[in-house]
Order: sequence, then C-alpha cells, then structure tokens
Amino acid sequence: MKIGNVDVKVSIVAVAVFVFFTIFLLYASLYSPEVRSQLIWMIPALFLLLVIPMALNYMSRSEYNNLEPIYEAEAKTVRIKMINESMVGKPVRIQGVVERVYFQFLNRPQYLIADRSGEISVKMFTSSPEDIKVKDVVEVLGQVIKRYVVTGDPVVNCISIRKIEKS
Amino acid sequence: MAEKCCEDPDQLSETDARLHRWLELAVPLFSFGGIAIAFLILGQGYLQAFRIASAGCIIASIILAYLAWIRPKKDIVALTTPLYSVILFVLPSDLVPDLILPILYAISLTILLVRLKYRFGKPGTAVTMGKELGGSLKNYIDQTREALKNTSPDTAHIATLAFVQFAQGDYAKVARISNTVTGRDDNPGCDHCLARAFSIVKEHASLLDKSLPRPYTYTVFDQEFANLLAKPVLPGKDDDHEFYLALDNALLMLYSTAWNVSEKDHPHLLACQMFAQKLMDAE
Repeated sequence: MKIGNVDVKVSIVAVAVFVFFTIFLLYASLYSPEVRSQLIWMIPALFLLLVIPMALNYMSRSEYNNLEPIYEAEAKTVRIKMINESMVGKPVRIQGVVERVYFQFLNRPQYLIADRSGEISVKMFTSSPEDIKVKDVVEVLGQVIKRYVVTGDPVVNCISIRKIEKS
Repeated sequence: MAEKCCEDPDQLSETDARLHRWLELAVPLFSFGGIAIAFLILGQGYLQAFRIASAGCIIASIILAYLAWIRPKKDIVALTTPLYSVILFVLPSDLVPDLILPILYAISLTILLVRLKYRFGKPGTAVTMGKELGGSLKNYIDQTREALKNTSPDTAHIATLAFVQFAQGDYAKVARISNTVTGRDDNPGCDHCLARAFSIVKEHASLLDKSLPRPYTYTVFDQEFANLLAKPVLPGKDDDHEFYLALDNALLMLYSTAWNVSEKDHPHLLACQMFAQKLMDAE
C-alpha cells in the first residue's frame, strides 16, 4: 500500500496475527453474548493489530527515504574486503550479488552480499522497497556496524538496497 | 619473493587442534552420555537419575559456549546455551522432572554444534587477536624485516598512519599522508619499493575517496621487488586482479615497515591486525 511516496508493507506475521484474532473473535461472539457486548471496542482493537505495524513501517520507511540522499552523497564505494572493524560508523556503498536472503517475511531482511573480494552480511531494520531475490545484482548503501552492536564481525546496516542488473 | 606462508592465521597447533576435536566430541558425549547413564540408573530404581542427565547437558552447554567463543565469528545462540541450561535445569520450575527435556536439549546442542562447525568457521585466534601477531602475517613481517630495517622511523610512522587511516576508510587523509613520502634517506635498496608502495596506496585512496572505478593505466610493483611482496603476482589474471593485488601488497608492505621499524606504533597496528590478515588471506 502506498501512503504519500512511501510504499508501506505489512509483514506476513502481522497479517497472520490479525487473521487469527479475527477468527477467534468471530467464534467467541457467536457463542458468547458477553463478547458481543464488548465488540464496540474489540473490533477497533482488532484493526489496531494491522494499523500499528503499518504505522511503524511507514515511519521507518519514510525515515530511511530521508536518509538515502545523505548516504548517496557521503558513502564511499568500497569492495567488501575493505570493510573492517575500524570502519564502524562509516557510510559505505557496495555492489555485489545476493547469495542469501533471510527474514524477508518479517520485514527485517538480511542479505548475504558477495563481490569478487569477499562477502558480508547486510541487515535492514525495515522492509526493502524492492523485492530482492538470490542472484540479484544489487547496490547497497549503509553504515558499517558490529553484528551484535558492541561485538561481532562488521556488517552493513542497510539504508537502501536496489537492483542494478537483472539476474 | 616473500614466500606466502601456507599457514592459516586461524590454524592452531596440533595439540590445540586435537583438543578442539575432543571438545567437539565432548558435547554430544556429555549430553547424550548423561541421558544414557540416567536411563541405566533409572532402571535400577534411582529416581533422581534425571539430575545426571541435566548435569551432562549443563557441561555440554559450557563446552559448546567455549567452542563458540574461540571462533572469530561469534554464534550468539551457542554462546548463550549455558544460560539456558541453568534456566532449564537448575532454577526451580513447575516442570515435572523427566528425561524428555534433556533429550530434546541434547539434540538441540548437537544441531548447534554442527551449525557452529559449518557456519561459523574454524576455531581461531579470536581471543589472542589484538595482542600479538600471528599466522602468515607474522611470517611475512619476519621475512621482510631485514630488507626494511633501515627505513627511517619517520617513514615507518607515516606508514602506520597511512595503513590505519586506510583501514578506517579515511581515504582523503591517506592520499595526503602518502604524498609526504619521497623515499628520502632510507635504505637505498628498499626505499624505491616503499615509495612505490606509498604511491600505489595514494592512487587507490584518491580513487576510493571519489568513488571512481579502476583507471585504464595504474601503478604496480616492478618485477625486481617481487621478493618483498606478500602475495605473488600470478600470470594470466585480469587487470582488476592485478590492480587490487598491487593495493594488497602495498598496504601489507606499509604494515610490515611500520611493525619492523616503529615499535611505538605496535598498539595501533595490532588494532588493525584483522584487516591486515584479511588482506593477507584474500586471493
């Protein structure tokens, strides 16, 4: 769904939770008059299960959209091998092939991107504007962070990922 | 040519490797062994047998966490297994004590061990990394010590600055720093090679700073310096390979010069050791 220029995506988990409680509520209201009397606030609450994830996704996506031009201007194009612990906090641009995609269904996708010099994890803390698949050639803009905030190997906190060539 | 050591930085001594193999074996051995003993004792009517299975699982968790800790790439799931073992087996709970939980836990530990082995690399020098040099990087530095020992301390310090700034991604600074080296009063047999290393690093840093692609013509090391390079120039490779190999060799030469001549810079160089080792290992 598009709100303004932001493409809002709701994760399949949020939809599943909404569907589960809708069925649960329908079933309960059929058999219980007490539940039926509470529907006036239960139905809006049910829709909040969809609205809240959508609002959060809208806010994070619009924030990332605002950051993209800043990273576009500041990020240096580097080969993956050059990314190391000393670069934590630096904006970088990498180009490579997507080798793996994880957690896309949770709206928190993680990609394993490889170029001729090596491979690196790219984490995104919101949904990707494009549907990225394995073997896509992509350009990533992001910041070097440690995998577990204060420790772990360097990974890229992705601000933008886009296909630059069809697989 | 400085012979590239086949020794992996993460390669351990034979004793350590054997110890790690035993520890890997100990994870299923303790977890399933405890359960097996518990089964035997339970058959003889000893009702507290599940405690032996729990103890086996706790010990196996600690071993698994240690195996995760000694790898350069950390597996947070394996690292936290001792915590889960305490929650499941030590803290009081409403669960009826039986062997189902230890069996499921032992299976989980074995799966985590396999995952650790195949997805998180070999046990390495993660704990010692940052305290001392090791592996092929150390070998290269030792092999070039004689050739680089007469480099002036000032040049060696500039080499440290250039390497550290390059590792940090401050490419504009690297280009400026590298420009100050002219190979003035160093060892005549080597200063030309070192000056070439600086000019290669400067060229790459200038390109990286402006995010420019590989130029049509670029600087590489002359064949006469081949014995001072960390990685051999192989025939039949494409221009991209030659271009980036020259950078790896130049950076490693700066690292070696800095390490061999500027002892006061060792803490800074040790902090960038992982990056230097990565350059050394990359094809």
